[in-house]
Amino acid sequence: MSEPVPTVTPTVTLTIDGREVTVPKGTNVLEAARKLGIDVSAFCYHPGLSIAACCRQCLVSVEKSPKLQPSCQQSCGDGMVVRTTDAQSTLARKQMLEFTLLNHPIDCPICDKAGECTLQKLYFEHNAEDSRVDVPKVEKPKVVDLGPTVVLDAERCILCSRCIRVCDEVAGEHELEFSNRGDHQILGTAPGASLKNPYSVNTVDVCPVGALTAKDFRFTMRAWELDMTPSVCNGCATGCNMEVHHKNERAWRLVPRHNAEVNKYWMCDEGRLTYHELRADRIAVPMVGGLPSTWNRALDTAARKLAPLLADPAQVAIVFSAQASNEENFALAKLAAAWKVTNLFVAAAAPVPERADDILRDADVNANTAGVRAIVGEVQPLAKLEAAINTGAVRGLVVLGHDLPLGEAAAARLGKLEALVVLAWRELGPAAAGGVTLPVAAWAEIAGTITNRQGFVQRMHPAFPPPGQAIAGWEAITRLASATGAKVPWTHARAVFEDMVAAVPAFGGASWGREARPLQLRFAYSRG
Amino acid sequence: MSELKQLVLGRKDVQDLDQEQALPNELMTVNMGPSHPAMHGTVRIVLTVDGERIVASDVHPGYLHRCFEKESESATYTQIFPYTDRLNYVSPMNNNVGYAMAVEKLLGITKEIPRRAEYVRVIVSEVSRITDHLTCVGASAMELGAFTPFLYFLKCREWLYILLEEVSGARLTHSYVRVGGVSKDLPEGWLDRLFARLDEIKVVIVEVEDMLNNNKIFRDRMADIGKFSKEDAIAYGLTGPIARACGVDYDVRKDYPYSIYPEVEFDVPLGTTGDCFDRYLVRIEEIKQSIRILHQCAKQLPDGPVIIDDPRVALPDKRGTYNTIESMIRHFKHIVDGIKVPCGEGYTFVEGGNGELGFFIVADATGRPYKCYCRSPSFVHLASAGKTMHGHLIADIVPIFGMINMIGGECDK
Repeated sequence: MSEPVPTVTPTVTLTIDGREVTVPKGTNVLEAARKLGIDVSAFCYHPGLSIAACCRQCLVSVEKSPKLQPSCQQSCGDGMVVRTTDAQSTLARKQMLEFTLLNHPIDCPICDKAGECTLQKLYFEHNAEDSRVDVPKVEKPKVVDLGPTVVLDAERCILCSRCIRVCDEVAGEHELEFSNRGDHQILGTAPGASLKNPYSVNTVDVCPVGALTAKDFRFTMRAWELDMTPSVCNGCATGCNMEVHHKNERAWRLVPRHNAEVNKYWMCDEGRLTYHELRADRIAVPMVGGLPSTWNRALDTAARKLAPLLADPAQVAIVFSAQASNEENFALAKLAAAWKVTNLFVAAAAPVPERADDILRDADVNANTAGVRAIVGEVQPLAKLEAAINTGAVRGLVVLGHDLPLGEAAAARLGKLEALVVLAWRELGPAAAGGVTLPVAAWAEIAGTITNRQGFVQRMHPAFPPPGQAIAGWEAITRLASATGAKVPWTHARAVFEDMVAAVPAFGGASWGREARPLQLRFAYSRG
Repeated sequence: MSELKQLVLGRKDVQDLDQEQALPNELMTVNMGPSHPAMHGTVRIVLTVDGERIVASDVHPGYLHRCFEKESESATYTQIFPYTDRLNYVSPMNNNVGYAMAVEKLLGITKEIPRRAEYVRVIVSEVSRITDHLTCVGASAMELGAFTPFLYFLKCREWLYILLEEVSGARLTHSYVRVGGVSKDLPEGWLDRLFARLDEIKVVIVEVEDMLNNNKIFRDRMADIGKFSKEDAIAYGLTGPIARACGVDYDVRKDYPYSIYPEVEFDVPLGTTGDCFDRYLVRIEEIKQSIRILHQCAKQLPDGPVIIDDPRVALPDKRGTYNTIESMIRHFKHIVDGIKVPCGEGYTFVEGGNGELGFFIVADATGRPYKCYCRSPSFVHLASAGKTMHGHLIADIVPIFGMINMIGGECDK
């Protein structure tokens, strides 16, 4: 019966620029300085990667050490005295930048990284003086196709090796390599390899300059003109934290956001492309019988068709969606309870076992499987719904989402049901079957939560308004409810969330958090 | 004498009415502006009148509100210069200089501005002050029926605008000053052309003074109208020509000297009564003093650069921008991110065309201000308009309002 020994992480205390800081033993000086708000410049250091100390941009003076030390590699010692602003280290960092810029092409106006470029940022912070060199720059290949996703401009490369380490350490594939030496050193694919691992675009994120550019984003939009809204990837059950970069009410790229518990600094290539579906087959207005309509007419039609069926709720089935947010599913559950419908199903895309790995990608390509399971509980398999549709036992159907995997016979019968109400944002599957289709907002357009495979309830923020007359799914459900005389009384997503947290034990303790408004990247200095 | 004057104005009749109660003494509310030729297009005054006489007035500014302060929060420090042009759009150079000085104060480079840049700033500011006063006096005379001085002065103003256009490239919205100096040097031979014009303008001023100073109608409409005491002027925070007309000896250029004003000699004209006629006289004298300053500046103008040699404040030249990566990055960062101003807050004020023009900036170490407040003299002066009008006739609003010289862009911001 001994007392549990409290585990104490050994700490060290050091002085940086005259200020004391205590950090866990093993922390490097650069991180300790950042803890104090001192941003020592660096190119090759990345908190998620191993330390290379090859750019020499983070040199600092350490007392009793005759030479300047790279602060990323120097681990903190007790009583260490570090200076980052003394003349010697400031001059050294400035001169390192001068070297780095020696062979850098004059590409800023045509470079995709301009505006979020670490080189630009550091150079401007280090006094921005003119070059003293008048010999021609070394020329290197400008457009090197490294693989299906990434293009290399070798002239812009500052040889920091971050991309090589991302491939080695995150994706576990040695696909990139340096060759040659000195100012002829060049990045390229390893012999016999091409950059085609499923995490390849992370190399573009970590690239401090515009050497690596993503084919998807290349030449589409100026990085500094984008706004940023924090969100969560809806590509699979992992729920990687990411930023939606958007402008003009459309997303231009998705970029990973740090979350130590979920995705660290990374995100898979497939997830990054999910923003394209925000503009594909979108439904902007309510539809009745395949024709554009108005909200009033669509709701009236839905209510008129559902009313006789709801007299015997057994004739009606409700399909939840593992791809929709918790709020939408919870609102639909409330509606089912109000209607006394007990035929509840969950639509989910079939798992893709070959995409699963131990890194981030999951076989379950539905973003909210855990959430919908917590809200709806155990449901009947979809095969039973299929049979009920085929036999005519189910005559009315309310579906959330456009992804309803049914057999051919049942899918063909959907349009012939007496009542088919679909709340979806893409005109696919049941939403295109000719029933009443209500347009709802997609994941980038709503304030809501999804639950990932670890059970984390993660918050999404609206980056821009939904197209046309589309509204948030939970709100569409409240409208449908009041059209049929049921009461599902919410006016804000937060109210739905709070009711849900109170009602569903799995969400206990979850909080709505702060609202995030789009942030202008240009003035945020969050990147580069 | 006073008896005679009141008869001419017809005020005797009003007084009689008032005393004798010949007509029912019923107050009436009259709406003047915002679309009224004498309201300069942008101000509305709700008048309570007793016959012809003003009992109360409620001035409603805001019809030209452009969100200057809010807009500034999402523009880089350099991008704000065009917004300042549109404050007092009759003398944009003064606004440019005032704003630039505020940013320079926050950057701590006030003492490092090249001497030539300071001189050029003063030269263009004084030319702008002249255009401002020419407009104010000319327009006010015109509103009282004296059309000739208006045409004469506007012609003079146009000469100066053409000269300022030569300097900056734009006739009215100059955006000429930059943080750390000015955007480009004065053109070749510009000062000679300026003084040729100023000599002509001096003659025109003499002509206009001959036409107005002893003109009975002008004097009757201006003298004793809109009187303001020295104490009231201080209490209302009046500055500039209209405060000096009240006898307040306050000129930012003398009392809180900035730039190279300590190095030039000039006098600050003061009025005695604070009426519209004094305000007119002060403005005419200030034009003459400005010309005096300009002559001294031209004589003392040193050679040298016109913008600070600090890569983090000044744009690189175009040659470097297109040919070296260092200047390219510098240019890019200036244009896209803006000049990074360290955290802090600061207020600077200059003598604008209408009075103390101040800028209060709060910086948060980014390329745009966290807050950019403008102390616009017109707005402060407009507060005195109601009090000034009391007891006067409706027709007196025209000279009173003209001499306050409310500029919508500056007042409403």
